[in-house]
Amino acid sequence: MSEQKNTRRYIPIIEIILLVGLISAPLFINEFITVILTRMLILGLLAISFELCWGYSGIMTFGQGLFFGMAGYAVALFANKAGFVQIWGVIPIGIIVGTITSFIVAWLLLLGKKPPEIIFVALGTLTFSYAAERLVSGWYWVGGGNGMSIFDFLSLGSYEIEAGLVFYYIAGLTLLLVYLASRFLVRSQFGLVLAGTRQNEKRLAFLGYRVRTFKALVFTFAGAIAGLGGALYAHHEGFIGPNNMGIGISTMAVLYALFGGAGSLLGPIIGVLAIESISFNLSDIEAIKSFWPVVLGIILLGVVTFKPDGILGFLVTQRERIGTFGRIKKRKNKRKNDLES
Amino acid sequence: MDEIIKIAFDILSFSCIMVLIVSGLAIIASLMGIFNFAHGEFVLLGAYVTFLFQAMGLPVGLGMVCAPIVVGFFGFLLEGSIIRRFYKATIVAMLATYAIGLIIREIIRGALSGRFWKVTEPIPGLFEIGDMSFSIWRGVIIIITLVVMGACYYFLTKTLYGLKIRGAMENPSLARASGISTTRLYSFTFAFGAALAGLAGALMVPLYTLFADLGLRFLVMAFLSVMLGGVGTFEGPILGSALIGAMVPGFQWLREAPLIVDVLSPIFSEVLVFIVAIIIVKFRPQGLIRRGRI
Repeated sequence: MSEQKNTRRYIPIIEIILLVGLISAPLFINEFITVILTRMLILGLLAISFELCWGYSGIMTFGQGLFFGMAGYAVALFANKAGFVQIWGVIPIGIIVGTITSFIVAWLLLLGKKPPEIIFVALGTLTFSYAAERLVSGWYWVGGGNGMSIFDFLSLGSYEIEAGLVFYYIAGLTLLLVYLASRFLVRSQFGLVLAGTRQNEKRLAFLGYRVRTFKALVFTFAGAIAGLGGALYAHHEGFIGPNNMGIGISTMAVLYALFGGAGSLLGPIIGVLAIESISFNLSDIEAIKSFWPVVLGIILLGVVTFKPDGILGFLVTQRERIGTFGRIKKRKNKRKNDLES
Repeated sequence: MDEIIKIAFDILSFSCIMVLIVSGLAIIASLMGIFNFAHGEFVLLGAYVTFLFQAMGLPVGLGMVCAPIVVGFFGFLLEGSIIRRFYKATIVAMLATYAIGLIIREIIRGALSGRFWKVTEPIPGLFEIGDMSFSIWRGVIIIITLVVMGACYYFLTKTLYGLKIRGAMENPSLARASGISTTRLYSFTFAFGAALAGLAGALMVPLYTLFADLGLRFLVMAFLSVMLGGVGTFEGPILGSALIGAMVPGFQWLREAPLIVDVLSPIFSEVLVFIVAIIIVKFRPQGLIRRGRI
């Protein structure tokens, strides 16, 4: 009986509740809240991209904001300098920019002569984020410190997708697809290698895996997701600035994932929804607003110190979080059937 | 020729600041295995204390004396309350120190109301050697750094307490078994490292403007200095910071060349320093100096 209780699985239940909730949400909320919720969904992409790096592969990165911002700036430039806002072009541009940028960073930091230490990668990505933020805030061709506004709406053919219900479902669908792809990835044999890398990199290397290549691959994949998020974000907000690229937004990615619960893909999404809702509700109160970044820092410190598995840790056991990989589950069932027969 | 000596002097004073920062970072990292992401914010805190003294109308020099004490005490409290929990999990410690840094940075950003501030030099003016004139304050920075580093070296190699620290660095469990309280040692060392950062912040703030992201900038520079110079050596970071320090005015020179001047804005040249440093690290990951003596 108690064994059965231990193996009860909460993640699928939460997944379904969240999915149904997000699909039906626009029925109950007004247009304004829908726009806010769309932004949360887009930031969810950013959080997932961080989670793939940290929770699943043990790569500490403060660079997700960089890929996010790069893609955002790229689509903003396309929109402003070339007048190109077609959605079938914008999304690939975001993905490609994210992929290329993250591949360059991965090549510089992860694919060195000797295996990189976690600290080295963390500080290296921090350096890139900082440098990029400085660069765009001083470069007037891309708007300098004021950032760039996008005046044209994202469009499909001649249909203009304004921020609102349609954009909400586009963002939701994108998030769902990315979530499913990431879920497939981390639950595959590839994901098993990543989990092994996170736990004991040397042992994996001795077993013959090219650990660094695997890390670079997942880092690039995460970069592509962040890029996709950045492209959507820039068009949704109609704006991209130095604050959406660099240390600040990278820190937010860390915060979302850790607050929601690192080590599962669901955690970051819950983290985004939780933190952004609190932030939105508090933004009316002027006294708290100015100290909100400090509060975020305190939340991060509190989570790291007292509740390393985040909100999701209240519901989901360590065992379920680690989960199973590849086709192991099927085989187990088969063995059970064999025993019974 | 005069120009080169002058620039060498500027680079030397910049390297001295970096040496103070890096040595504080390094002593914490090598004793406790924790890389302190809040170190840049300790530098910022030191600068801020100095600024506060100026804002209250007290002498800036007094602020500079107090800054390392305040920051050191702050580090001591921090170690006792938070850092202490993470000696077993150094990766999580990185996140915790990052969060601490974030809190300090944002509080100071609020206190500075997002603006840039200037702190005056306690000893303004120039001194002359031959027909060249140098800033007195940069000279003072060099002298103070030399004295502090000399004292550290003496302390670590010649005193009993230094011996204990080196012992705990080498083998913590054996040190504990021999009756050395590593707990006390750790909190002392953390406070000491923080105080060094505070001193660096206080000394350099007249040369720069004070703003909230100052610490971040110095954290990045300290990291690049260590990576350029070579991890785990004493000379490495000094050489690395000299290189970083040399690159900034170096790229400024480039701007005087035709054609490049249009492309290379001051900020871009600063960013270029980071990129060049990362690329050097990529192709020479062991650093410029492979093995030190300490």
